Amino acid sequence: MRRQHHDPFWLVPVALGAFLALWQGVVSIGGYPPFILPSPATVVHRLIDLLVDGSLWHHTATTLQEVVGGLALGTTTAVLLGYVLAHFPLAERLLAPYLVASQAVPVVAIAPLLVIWFGTGLLSKVLVCALIVFFPILVNTIVGVRSVGQDLRDLMRMLEATRWQTIRLLEIPAALPVLLGGLKVGATLSVIGAVVGEFVASDRGLGYLLKQGQQLYDTALVFVGIGALVVMAQMLYGGVALVEKMVVRRATCDVRRAT
Amino acid sequence: MAYPQSDGRLEVLAGLTFEVADGEFVCVVGPSGCGKTTLLRLLAGLERPTAGRVLLDGAEVDRPRRTVGFVFQEPTLMGWRTVEENVSLPLEVARVPKGEARRRSRELLDLVGLSGFETAYPAELSGGMAQRVALARALVHDPRLLLLDEPFGALDALTRERMAQELLRIWRARRKTVVMVTHSVSEAVFLADRVLVLSPRPASIAAEVRVDLPRPRTPAFFDDPAFGALARAVRAAIG
Repeated sequence: MRRQHHDPFWLVPVALGAFLALWQGVVSIGGYPPFILPSPATVVHRLIDLLVDGSLWHHTATTLQEVVGGLALGTTTAVLLGYVLAHFPLAERLLAPYLVASQAVPVVAIAPLLVIWFGTGLLSKVLVCALIVFFPILVNTIVGVRSVGQDLRDLMRMLEATRWQTIRLLEIPAALPVLLGGLKVGATLSVIGAVVGEFVASDRGLGYLLKQGQQLYDTALVFVGIGALVVMAQMLYGGVALVEKMVVRRATCDVRRAT
Repeated sequence: MAYPQSDGRLEVLAGLTFEVADGEFVCVVGPSGCGKTTLLRLLAGLERPTAGRVLLDGAEVDRPRRTVGFVFQEPTLMGWRTVEENVSLPLEVARVPKGEARRRSRELLDLVGLSGFETAYPAELSGGMAQRVALARALVHDPRLLLLDEPFGALDALTRERMAQELLRIWRARRKTVVMVTHSVSEAVFLADRVLVLSPRPASIAAEVRVDLPRPRTPAFFDDPAFGALARAVRAAIG
C-alpha cells in the first residue's frame, strides 16, 4: 500500500504529444472545417488571443468566484446540517425523504427558478453551485461523524470533556478524512454548477464563453473554454487533495493491527 | 440495574453490594453475559442504575468523572494522534499547561515501558503496546480509581501474561485502587487482593475469594499450590 510508484518523468509529456499528433492527424486526413474540428494550432492561436486581450482571465475569474462561493456556502450548510442529523437520528428520518427527493430533481431544472428569484448576477450561480455541492458533503459529514466509535465517545465523557472539546478533539479529526473525500467530489461538481447557472442566464463566465462560441460557430473558443474548465476543476481537486495530505496525517484510524 | 427491552426490561444486576478499600486490587469474574461490563460502566458513571447507588469517597457517582481512569477491551486510541498525544489527552481536556502535560505523559510512557515511542502512531503499535498506551492514558491524570474492562482480552496468551505482570508493577508504583473485569480465573487470582465472582443474570455476588498471598508476585506464583487452591475455589464458585 505504501509502495512508492514512480512513473518515468517523460511519460506525461509523451502521452500529451501523442494525443496532439493524433488530433492533428484526424484534422489533416479528415479535412474537417475549423468550425467542426479546429486543429490544435487553431485552438492555441485562439487561446493566445483570449489571453492577450484579457477576456479569458476575466471570464475564468467570474466562474471561479461562483465556484468557490458556492463551494463555501454549500459546504458550510451541509456540514452544519450533517452534524445535527448525525446526532439526531429522528431528525434524519424526518428530513431524509425530502433530501433524497431534492436529489431526484436535476440542478439544470432548478437553475432557471434560481435565476428568476435571485437575478442573473453572481448570487444565483453561487446558489446553483451550493445546491449541487450540498448533498455529497452532507452524506459524507453524517458518515464521518457516525464513524466515531462509542468507546471514544465514552472516553471523552469520562474525561468530562465539554461539547466543544469533543467536537474539536474527537469528532472533527475522526470525520475529516471522509469529509475531505466529499469535498473533492464537491469541488468538481461545483464547476458543473457554475456552468449550468451561466448557461441559463449570464453575461460573463466560462459558461457564457462556451455559449457564445456555440452561437458564433467559433469552435476553437469552445475548446478553449472547456480547457479552462478542466484546468480549474483539476486545480480545485488538487487543492483539496493537498489539504488532505497535510491534515490527515494517518488516514488509517484502525488501531487494531497484528504485530 | 435493568435495561429497557422491547418485551419489558432486562434485569442485569440485582442485590449486588460490595465495597472496595483504598489501594485495593479487586478482580471481577463471572459467566459471560452476566453483566460484568455493566457493573463497570455503573462504577464509571457511564450508566445510571435503575435502583441502588454507587459511592466514591462517600459521594454518589451520578455522572462520569475525571477522578476515574478507564481502560476498555480495545485500546481505543485516536489514530490521528501520536502515542504521546494520546497519553496526554486527559490533561489536554483538563487544560493542564503544555509543558506539565508533556512531562507527565513522558513519565507515564516511561512507566509502561514505551519510552522512545512518543512520536509513533497507534497503527504502528502491536496490540500489547497499544493497550499499554491506553493504560498510561488512564493513569496520566492521576485518578482515584482505575477501572479495567477485560483489558487483555484481545491479546495473545503470552502477551497477556506479560501484561499482567506489568500491570502489577505499575500498580505497585502508583498504588491505585483497581477494579478489573476479566474472564481469566488465573489472571484474577494472580493480580487481585480479592476476587468477586458474579452469578448468572441477574447478577449478584456468588462468592468472594480473598487472595491472602504475599506480594510481589512473580510467574513462579502460578506453580504455588496455594495459587492452585484459590483458582479452584474461584472456578467452583462460577459453577
